[in-house]
Amino acid sequence: MRDQGEAGAMTRREVLGTLGALSVAAAAGTVSLTAAPAAAQTLGQNESVEAGLARVFGGRPMKDGGSLIKLDVPLIAENGAVVPVAVEVNAPMTPQSYVKSIYVVADRNRIPIVTRVALSPEAGKAFMGANIRLGETGDVRAIVEQSDGTLWQIKREVKVTVGGCGG
Amino acid sequence: MTRPIRWLGLILLTAGCTVAANAPDYSSVPRWSTRAIPPARGDIRTEADGRRVAVRYPGWSTKDYAEFRTYAYGDWRPEPSVSKAAMPSGVVGDAKKGRALFLDRQRGPCTGCHLVPGDDVWPAGSVGPDLSTIGDRKLTDAYLYQQLWDPRAVFPLTVMPPWGVQGVFTPEELVHLVAYLQSLHGPAASEKDADRNPFTRRRPVGFGDNLDPTNNPAVLRAESAEAFWQERGPKGKACTECHPGGVGTAMRGVATRYPRYVPAFNRVMAIEDFLSVHAPDTTGQALAVESAENVTFTMLIKMASNGMPVAVDTSSPQARAALARGRASFVRRVGERNHACSDCHTPDRGANKFLGGRLLGDATAGMTRHFPTWRTSLNDAWDLRRRFQWCMTPLGANMLAADAIEYAELELYLAQFDNGKPMSVPGIRH
Amino acid sequence: MSDIGKVRLRLPSSIKAGDVVQVRCLIIHPMERIERDKAGKIIDKKYNYINKVVVTYLGKTISTFDTTQSVSENPYFAFTLKATDPGPVTVTFHDTLGGKYEGTAQITFG
Repeated sequence: MRDQGEAGAMTRREVLGTLGALSVAAAAGTVSLTAAPAAAQTLGQNESVEAGLARVFGGRPMKDGGSLIKLDVPLIAENGAVVPVAVEVNAPMTPQSYVKSIYVVADRNRIPIVTRVALSPEAGKAFMGANIRLGETGDVRAIVEQSDGTLWQIKREVKVTVGGCGG
Repeated sequence: MTRPIRWLGLILLTAGCTVAANAPDYSSVPRWSTRAIPPARGDIRTEADGRRVAVRYPGWSTKDYAEFRTYAYGDWRPEPSVSKAAMPSGVVGDAKKGRALFLDRQRGPCTGCHLVPGDDVWPAGSVGPDLSTIGDRKLTDAYLYQQLWDPRAVFPLTVMPPWGVQGVFTPEELVHLVAYLQSLHGPAASEKDADRNPFTRRRPVGFGDNLDPTNNPAVLRAESAEAFWQERGPKGKACTECHPGGVGTAMRGVATRYPRYVPAFNRVMAIEDFLSVHAPDTTGQALAVESAENVTFTMLIKMASNGMPVAVDTSSPQARAALARGRASFVRRVGERNHACSDCHTPDRGANKFLGGRLLGDATAGMTRHFPTWRTSLNDAWDLRRRFQWCMTPLGANMLAADAIEYAELELYLAQFDNGKPMSVPGIRH
Repeated sequence: MSDIGKVRLRLPSSIKAGDVVQVRCLIIHPMERIERDKAGKIIDKKYNYINKVVVTYLGKTISTFDTTQSVSENPYFAFTLKATDPGPVTVTFHDTLGGKYEGTAQITFG
């Protein structure tokens, strides 16, 4: 994302300071009685990616999303703990037709269905970003579902660097 | 004394002083008793059965590397002597065993510096030459054996460890490695994946904006130390009473001058070292070196200088003396691997090449101004001393205490390369 | 001093009415990973990880992340919203132990 203004370190710090006033850090967590909805807990399961995709998408056909989906992911990840992923979909976001969900899948993870973002037209753009874990070198997929049920998919191999004197 | 002898004495004294100014002087360095947390002291514990065990951070190796040289100023043991050795007779080299040894992460791995064929070779490094077709060079077994036993006998300026001399590989294992190398013939298979080959591999893209609190968790962690600044310690005082205002105001510019020689303690100190003595003296808080409080507080104090150029003193007599010792440490070969910092971190050696999958940094380009740094692989913040201590593990050398004067003076030597460049703490790295 | 639950949001420095703005947020949270015993069997315990992130703007839910243990420790999330009116955007994080953490930023125009 772009800040308006200069890219100098001091200016960015000042801008962040201003933003800091806008964005309020929460107090340390409070434990509430809100139980997480059951559907959320079943998204991520210990399974093969084939089983996970079958479970979540029931064998529905997926179109090649190469021209529609931009999957931003480092092609070589320095470690498997923190791999930034961003997905942007070139598709309408109107009440008549919008991107309903974006899934991120990591084929070689023990829990391959990483996250699902449910969107509304008010999001303005079909976009999401997150840091994910990768167990090992393998494909990362973005699967997009439109409001009419159409599924699109794109995937890219991410190599995970191992070892080294860096620890 | 008669006049001619007095003149002679003066000349010799002057000549002696000139020589001494170039060589590091260790006589003035005081003893320092550590103020580090127990895992950071570099202690070696003797168990009931007489075994010696190194006390280090949780999850780190406990191996005692007693027989190998360290950075300690009192450790005058020489480098292992260059040694020539002949191949043992009666051992038939097995290329398959040799390949397994070449890739073994518990040894080199040799792939850390050298590329060889194979889809399972990930990630190989580019510090040393590509060995994929070395068998074509028709070098003798004896030559290759010597190269592995002690490469310094072949290439005196090499950074390659003397594997045989140091006992990392047995003579028999070296014979298998020779057989493997001799089996590597061209033509080299065409590369399906440009990233497999470290000479064509893409550079790491890093982890984005280190100062963005929605990108770098260390920024949030550092901010929690602001409350500590205002808090009354056991002596009833808070930092802010002598240093009015928040950290950002009171400490602005301070970190640009560290590490520096501190006369009150007669030693070079970084912020971390200074906190560990200053806090107990004033507010009564401990702030032991390598405690979470010390690292977090150091981050916050350094953040107050972000954007300002590093300005460590390099001209006073104490600074120059410390820099000479720091430089000597930088080029000093230590450990089982017989490596110096300069082997990996200078441009004519390993810098900007891949060591395994890791791009080696160039110390002469300035590498200290983003420490302490967030480590994404560990979800923790590391200061530079911990990074020094960690380097000891792959080098096979016992670590010193985190606040050792040796480390402080090495840090000063490194920090001079950051002079003039803007501070940017905390960093974010693998 | 536990930082768990600390949240930070970030908006662009200048927003005009009708812009689609990208928002980043980060939370300090362990996102506990599955542990296995020496035999490789999964240790049965209640793992503490964020499993739901809800974005609300002007009181309406804009997007929801269902998240799993495959998301990083101290995760960041990014999303967009169409800035129709000035007002608060709130991100609420729920974890499996019933923890609920929140961060809010104000959308202002100009």
